[in-house]
Amino acid sequence: MSDIRDTAVSPADLAAAEPAPKATPGRRERASWLWLLNARLVLGLIIIAIFLLGSFVLPLFAPHDPAQQATYMKNLKISPAHWLGTNGLGQDTLWYLIFAVRNSLILGIFVGIGISAISTAIGLSAGFIGGAYERIVMLIVDSFITIPLLPILIILGALIRGNNNFFTIGLIIVIFGWAWNARTIRSMVLSLREREFINMARFSGAGTLAILVREIFPYVSAYLVVGFINTILFAINTEATLAVIGLSKVDVPTLGSIIFWALNYNALFTGNTTWLVAPIVATILLFLGLFLTSTGFNAAFASRRGVA
Amino acid sequence: MGVLQYVAKRVGLYLAVLFIGLTITFFLPRLLPTNPIDAYISQLQSRANGQLTAEAIIQLRTNLEELYGLKGNLFSQYLGYLNRVIFHLDFGPSFTYYPTPVSSMILTALPWTLGLLLIATLIAWVLGNLVGVVAGYFHTKRAATVLEVVGILLYPIPYYILAVSVILLLAYVIPIFPLSPTFPVGPLTPALVGSIVYNSTLPALTLVLAGFGWNILSMKALAVATTEEPYVTFARLKGTSNWTRMVRYVFRNAMLPQVTALALSLGTVFNGALLTEILFSYPGVGLLMRTAASSGDYDVLYGAITLSIVAVATAGLVIDLIYPLLDPRIRHR
Amino acid sequence: MAKFGRYLLAPVLGALMATTAMAQSAMTDVGTPRNETLIVQNFDGKAANPDQQNPLNAYAIWRGFRELGWSYLWEDDTATGKSYPELADGMPEALNPEHTKFRVKIRPGVYWSDGVEFTTDDIVYTLATSFKYKDKLTNVAGITSYIKPDSWKAIDKYTFEVETQKPAYDFATVMGVYSWASPFIPVPKHVFEKQADVTTFKNDNPVTLGPYTVKAFDPNGFWQVWQLRDDWKRSGWGNLGTPAPKYVLYKDFGAEETRTLAFVKNQYDEDTFMSPDSIQAAQAKNPAIQTFSPTMPFNDMNDACSYGVYINQQKAPFDKPEVRWALALSLDLQTIGITAVNGQFKAAALPLSDTPITNPLFYQPLLGFLKDLKLSDGYQPFNADFGQQLVDKLKDQGVDASVLPTGAEVQKGYGAGWWKYDPAESEKLLNSVGIKKGSDGFYTMPDGSPWSIEFVIPSDWNKVMQRVGFSIADSWKKAGFNVSARQVDNGEFGTVQNTNSKFTLMVNWANTCVYNSNFLNSWRVFNPDNVKPVDSNDPLNGNLLRVTDKGIFDLVADATKRETTSPEFLADGQKIASALVTGMAEINLMNIPTTIPTNSYYWTGYPKADNFYAAPYTWWSSFKKTIVTIKPTGKQ
Repeated sequence: MSDIRDTAVSPADLAAAEPAPKATPGRRERASWLWLLNARLVLGLIIIAIFLLGSFVLPLFAPHDPAQQATYMKNLKISPAHWLGTNGLGQDTLWYLIFAVRNSLILGIFVGIGISAISTAIGLSAGFIGGAYERIVMLIVDSFITIPLLPILIILGALIRGNNNFFTIGLIIVIFGWAWNARTIRSMVLSLREREFINMARFSGAGTLAILVREIFPYVSAYLVVGFINTILFAINTEATLAVIGLSKVDVPTLGSIIFWALNYNALFTGNTTWLVAPIVATILLFLGLFLTSTGFNAAFASRRGVA
Repeated sequence: MGVLQYVAKRVGLYLAVLFIGLTITFFLPRLLPTNPIDAYISQLQSRANGQLTAEAIIQLRTNLEELYGLKGNLFSQYLGYLNRVIFHLDFGPSFTYYPTPVSSMILTALPWTLGLLLIATLIAWVLGNLVGVVAGYFHTKRAATVLEVVGILLYPIPYYILAVSVILLLAYVIPIFPLSPTFPVGPLTPALVGSIVYNSTLPALTLVLAGFGWNILSMKALAVATTEEPYVTFARLKGTSNWTRMVRYVFRNAMLPQVTALALSLGTVFNGALLTEILFSYPGVGLLMRTAASSGDYDVLYGAITLSIVAVATAGLVIDLIYPLLDPRIRHR
Repeated sequence: MAKFGRYLLAPVLGALMATTAMAQSAMTDVGTPRNETLIVQNFDGKAANPDQQNPLNAYAIWRGFRELGWSYLWEDDTATGKSYPELADGMPEALNPEHTKFRVKIRPGVYWSDGVEFTTDDIVYTLATSFKYKDKLTNVAGITSYIKPDSWKAIDKYTFEVETQKPAYDFATVMGVYSWASPFIPVPKHVFEKQADVTTFKNDNPVTLGPYTVKAFDPNGFWQVWQLRDDWKRSGWGNLGTPAPKYVLYKDFGAEETRTLAFVKNQYDEDTFMSPDSIQAAQAKNPAIQTFSPTMPFNDMNDACSYGVYINQQKAPFDKPEVRWALALSLDLQTIGITAVNGQFKAAALPLSDTPITNPLFYQPLLGFLKDLKLSDGYQPFNADFGQQLVDKLKDQGVDASVLPTGAEVQKGYGAGWWKYDPAESEKLLNSVGIKKGSDGFYTMPDGSPWSIEFVIPSDWNKVMQRVGFSIADSWKKAGFNVSARQVDNGEFGTVQNTNSKFTLMVNWANTCVYNSNFLNSWRVFNPDNVKPVDSNDPLNGNLLRVTDKGIFDLVADATKRETTSPEFLADGQKIASALVTGMAEINLMNIPTTIPTNSYYWTGYPKADNFYAAPYTWWSSFKKTIVTIKPTGKQ
């Protein structure tokens, strides 16, 4: 029996479209991965590649630890020496931004992997095994879904700040964020379970694990890729919200920390608009890249399925 | 599976979820490193510039422990909490705002939160989905991409920045709205209501802007997927007009997951909107929770979080029960 | 489409212009004329308990009532630091040589706002009620632990006698105000005795003794508006002068991002603790906005308390003075001051503020001691040129020379000096106790284990200290200490400060508040009762500096036996200060900078450096003096 809420579009999932059952064997003859490419996807991947390369390679050339204060004079304007000027703490805005993007991406990827792994394992197993196991697991999942994230984060914020490890935030987002994806995956599995080709596989004697891996997983993987990408954005935004309230570790450069410090030193009002605008533009571009990639993948999978 | 059995099963699940939620809620704030008594005393001490004598502090501490009922071990407090909440719906007194009972505090803040957030969420949903379905249906046209770009630009902007920019634009550069809302007191006259609406427009506007980008994007994706379904192609071949196809075929079907999302987000409205309330001095539930968390005010936290859990779970239950009316395919399989 | 747009534009523009015009009307949002209303940003922000207005309970709303509603036997003059009589007629008279019996006369002709006269009946009633319900009332602990139970006697309507539990030399500042308020606040007997339960009586829209009454208040706690009594002359402090504003509005204008915008638009008159860079930006946009002084450090630095780094002296390795001194010498206060507070601070090396009141009592007499102070290895840590060096640094940063102090003004503005910034000497000191730098550049313990230090700082609720705290951590990190700054909420701050097991290093001010010669008010707590084991989870009730030095305890015990105005008493205080400094018990940083900008569009005459009749606060007796001194400009 399906649950109505399973069909809701979660913030972590833009492409909740049900996979159509048409397997078109003829299409598989095309070159191995060229079917993936379309204009959106290429553009998205290029943007993401720039961000990844920039934020992971450039830091190796940093002249200074950008988080150290008073390295330069405060509030300098844009100049050849400081491409985005300096901020109220005497730090170079551009270098801080580069490190911030890197750390935010690391957090996002960590959370993305965590949530994807946990939710896939639980969703697949619950959907396929069914019975009492499914009921207990879905009870736990539902409970986690109803608990509101922000108040919990506020409460645990005190603990986060007490802990020296930056990844504690990531861990907490994972703990309270996996539930929704698990539910969606389970409902996908439920609807797939009844389809013809699964029954065919079962009748031809394939075991449960083989069915899971070879028949169901390819459909779920389309959703997973999209979900992973959107979870990255969700993690980055949640960390930014926490930082604005001051509940994150703001002495570690992240996109959220920049916004925290820029607001703390009232950058808009005192005229250092670059300090605040630069991370916003970076966030928008990053999201653009992630969004194009995820819808590009979706379009590619859709065309593969033959519904483009 | 009979209707009654289905309903009973859903309700049973609902109650079980509530119970688990209540339990998790009880233990979480106890993890806080803040003891409400210490929080209160340190506030007094900083006010008094260290002038409180040691004897005075000791006496105050004992008084407060009695008043707050923080005696006894954790498990007995848990049982007492379950008893009070489930059978009497009594959350006890607030520690920071002693002796005001938590329920009256929440009931004072709730109308503000509900008013603002319900309206903002509904407007954002309606507007976003309308734009999204148009963009999705005509997804091959240029204009659709433009609309999608609007969504892309709005969605990732951190809410706080969006709000500050709106304030700068509409309250400072072009001073239409007040920079700092003053909610007047007095009897409920039309003038008072008008003043409340005037002061609430900016926060509502920022909430709508923040929410509607996502609705555009998600609705567009769903509409695109639905437009490609064979029955829509069949309708086109049948000769139905663009408008009928868009509304009766695509929208009605694509809307279903969005309705679910709307129901659940209406449930989360009970969380309040913390950043909005901070920035616009709005007396809602979010600010209440934040103050409570920072001073270790357990009872207020329990009250506010429990309310939110109940709201979300109930929204889910309601949507589960009425969904079959919206989508005949799902009717009690 | 274009046509449609044009048709839309016209009415929109019309509406815009209409509302802009409306926004410039001369009424405040609470319905009072703007040029008759003094509007101030509420010091406490959003009031926690807006309708609790019963002063016997600690949960009662504070701001506004302390200044305008209640009244005290003796007030405290923030300009001179001396007490003066408000409700009382003269100072208290000691009746016995042990200083435990006192007689007090009150001024006749003082009336509550409902027309009933204020007499000793109210005082006796307040004392009796405080003791009767001392287990339930939460703001009477101060007075019930000071006055002897049932020892009060009304001799006549305007004279009463009372006894204290211990010999008291500070009667006027306990039965009256010390600075923040008083533990004793008279309540109206004729109102309170009619209540069924005084302990839960809210007393909202109360009968007041001061010259103002509550006109209206926001049940959500964002504002309260006061109105001048018609019979203000016979109020508790009606003899101070003529109050200029007919209405006073306290409001919380919210986050600094929006507050500064409202301030620039003349929507209120006095702010509280706006950050220095915002003030400068606001001044550039609106010339009516002024700071306390036209030269650096711009703001009034003479707060009663001073910020410092409090150290848990009981926890190893901070129990070694070499380690504490190493921390002090690795703190680059000049750079920190420039980064965090735009260079607007006054350094204070002794564990108390350097104000015009305390300077001749403590700083000048001990200047020689500071200059001659030597550490265990002969190093002289004091830098008397701190102020001048800071001024030079500011010049390099581009600050205009016309706003920088010169000559003797440097000391007045930036303090008598501070400790040298010498990380090399710090390393020497640490090496001498076995702490050496590891391969990663951070110091490690003698046994080789990494040394990570937790430094607790306030979060947004105290922006100045939040910024300074992060900058201090950064300074220490550069010198090789593996410090992590942890920002905490108000509540947790209190827990950390009071609990040994949770406290290592923190920024604080509560134990370094010596306001005048009566240092015992802040340092009375240095006694053996207030020392707990280093890993104790029990809350401490004082002695936040974790002083364990017997010499200091003895000095405190000696001082309690002396008359507070005697030179021997003061000498004890100076000795305590020097002992605290010699052991570097606490790294005192600066006077609390009270960054209070004023707006002279509607009102002029605020306390300024060249018109110093009171400290420029919107709280305490300063506000009373401000109210009777400012003049309206008459602008619409």
